[in-house]
Amino acid sequence: MGVTVDPVEDYVAPMGLSLLLVEDDADAAEQVREALTDVGHHVVVAGDGPSALAAGRDRSFDVLIIDRLLPGQDGLALLRDLRACGVDAPALFVTALGAVADRVAGLEAGGDDYLIKPFALAELKARVQVLVRRHMYARPATLLHHGDLTLDRVQRVVRRAGAAIELLPLEYRLLEFLLLNRGHPVTRKMLLEQVWGFRFDPRTNIVETHISRLRRKIDSPAGPPLIQTIRGAGYVIGA
Amino acid sequence: MRLWRRSGVRQMALQALIMVAAFSIAGGLTLASVSRLSAEAARRRVLGEATSMLDEWRQKGADHLPHTIRKRTRLWRGFEYGLAGADGQRIEGDRRLILSAPGWRGAPTGGEGPILTYTQRLPDHTWLSVGQDQTMERRQMREVARLLWLCGGAGVLIALAASYLVSRPTWRRVDQLARAAAVVSSGDLDVRVPLRRAGKSDDVDDLARDFNGMLDRIVRLVGQVRQVTSDIAHDMRTPLTRVRHRLERLEAAASERPDFAEEVRRIDDDLTEILRTFDALLDLAEIESSGVLEGSTDLADVAARVAEAYRPDIEESGRSIETRLATALVCGDADLLAQLVANLLENALRHTPPGAHIVVAVEDQGETRRLTVADNGPGVPAHLRPAALAPFGRLEASRGAPGKGLGLSIAAAVALRHRAQFRLGDANPGLVVTASFPAASKCPH
Repeated sequence: MGVTVDPVEDYVAPMGLSLLLVEDDADAAEQVREALTDVGHHVVVAGDGPSALAAGRDRSFDVLIIDRLLPGQDGLALLRDLRACGVDAPALFVTALGAVADRVAGLEAGGDDYLIKPFALAELKARVQVLVRRHMYARPATLLHHGDLTLDRVQRVVRRAGAAIELLPLEYRLLEFLLLNRGHPVTRKMLLEQVWGFRFDPRTNIVETHISRLRRKIDSPAGPPLIQTIRGAGYVIGA
Repeated sequence: MRLWRRSGVRQMALQALIMVAAFSIAGGLTLASVSRLSAEAARRRVLGEATSMLDEWRQKGADHLPHTIRKRTRLWRGFEYGLAGADGQRIEGDRRLILSAPGWRGAPTGGEGPILTYTQRLPDHTWLSVGQDQTMERRQMREVARLLWLCGGAGVLIALAASYLVSRPTWRRVDQLARAAAVVSSGDLDVRVPLRRAGKSDDVDDLARDFNGMLDRIVRLVGQVRQVTSDIAHDMRTPLTRVRHRLERLEAAASERPDFAEEVRRIDDDLTEILRTFDALLDLAEIESSGVLEGSTDLADVAARVAEAYRPDIEESGRSIETRLATALVCGDADLLAQLVANLLENALRHTPPGAHIVVAVEDQGETRRLTVADNGPGVPAHLRPAALAPFGRLEASRGAPGKGLGLSIAAAVALRHRAQFRLGDANPGLVVTASFPAASKCPH
């Protein structure tokens, strides 16, 4: 093919991340901590703002997971304080509030992502990985690939074994997002937000239908499917 | 506000009309009265002079009369004289007053010439006429009339100006009230009508105070709804999160026992279904009580995005979808509007048989921007439409079909939130849902 592959897109985010979890509900915090520890991350739990600030001054983290409703403080204010202390890790807000205005406030306050309770642990794990990847590589590669499938982000061309594949705009964006997060599962919710720009939960199978259409176009009849479905977690290319 | 739509302006116009009518009547009566008095005075003067001339005739004889006439004319007493013989020929005096019929001629304001004349036959059968030029009197009357009009006009203008100055502050305050009400109905509950000092208060202030009080109460109620919503959300979502996480761990732990794992998955699916309904209810509460919508959004953009997202699902279910979209800016939140379109499409997908055709249209109708989603399915009879919009108001026929009956309620709430009219109608055959948005000329940002 003679295509030079940008080394950046071969990057796979390390599993052993250092995470700061700020959550006042001890039970919930413990569950999240266990789940994230299980996949190899190191989690520091802070029950309130002051201890989170102390931890933030003490050591560096890869991702901050902050509950919006903390005792005596809003998670937004805590993030501002952490940022003032020089903590620049990407932040994911976890909240029991779902209103549009609250979400916008969260993102405007410097949050990078927003997760509404009750969320699945798989959702949280997937989002943490995406945040780390996005934070480390603010300018992602222009050529993405998996096996003999390539996606040229400049010319917007997708090839399988050198042969161009016609994709609809939505299918292209879907494949691009999966390839950008190669090796890490992305959830249905993340796809809806990032590919479709939908903040609500459709009651039809629009994600599944698009995935199956995309599969029909990129999969070779004989070979295994490129996009794998992970039950309860979402989809992944190149697990 | 257009001038004529102000009740104050209409009131003032009516006032002016009444004042002009009153002034006209008063002026007309005054003028008639003054003119009558002036005419009477003129006649008396002329009659007095005529009597004095008759006395002269009696005392000094007929031969002396021409001399008296010449003398009095020379002295200029303000009268004109004419003496004609029995045959009507001039003996002495002004030619205009050589008359041979008794009685009055000319009128102070009439069109019969400027001289008011009294003619009498003397005992010797000659005709003596005494007249007085009324040009000055007529001029006086005209002057009086002119002054009356001037005073009347100035009076009306001054009264109108005074009434404007007096009522303008009231208009302003009524305008403030109207503006505040408009802002409130666009969703901003923070606005209040400014009040004046307590000592100066009148009925408009009472109205403003009641209006503000009403707003305070609405804010309190909305605040309570939001507080309850967020309390419920927090108190339930946190334990539900724990349940969900326990199930996830249980499922992982049960990998050795596929039947257990399957059961756990079913519980998780049920939980997911409960959470969806719960989320939809909270969404409904949040949409209905959230703040001002900022920025303008192209409805056509949103509709195109959502229609493309649903196209594969709709086509694979054996139905078809068509879009007719024209750029139409509205004030609003793109996320909420996308949810509105999505809910309408899901509704059409759920309540039509395979083979149905769905049309999504956005039209710019100037004052309003219209979004319609129409299908050619069974439709909803007119008497069942209100029920179809109520939360959980699923129609009998579709009970048991998937969905929790909140889709249309949420769509209606989003429409209401955007000050759009939301209607279910007949597509002949089928259902057409219409949301008519106000044009995005005055978005908050």
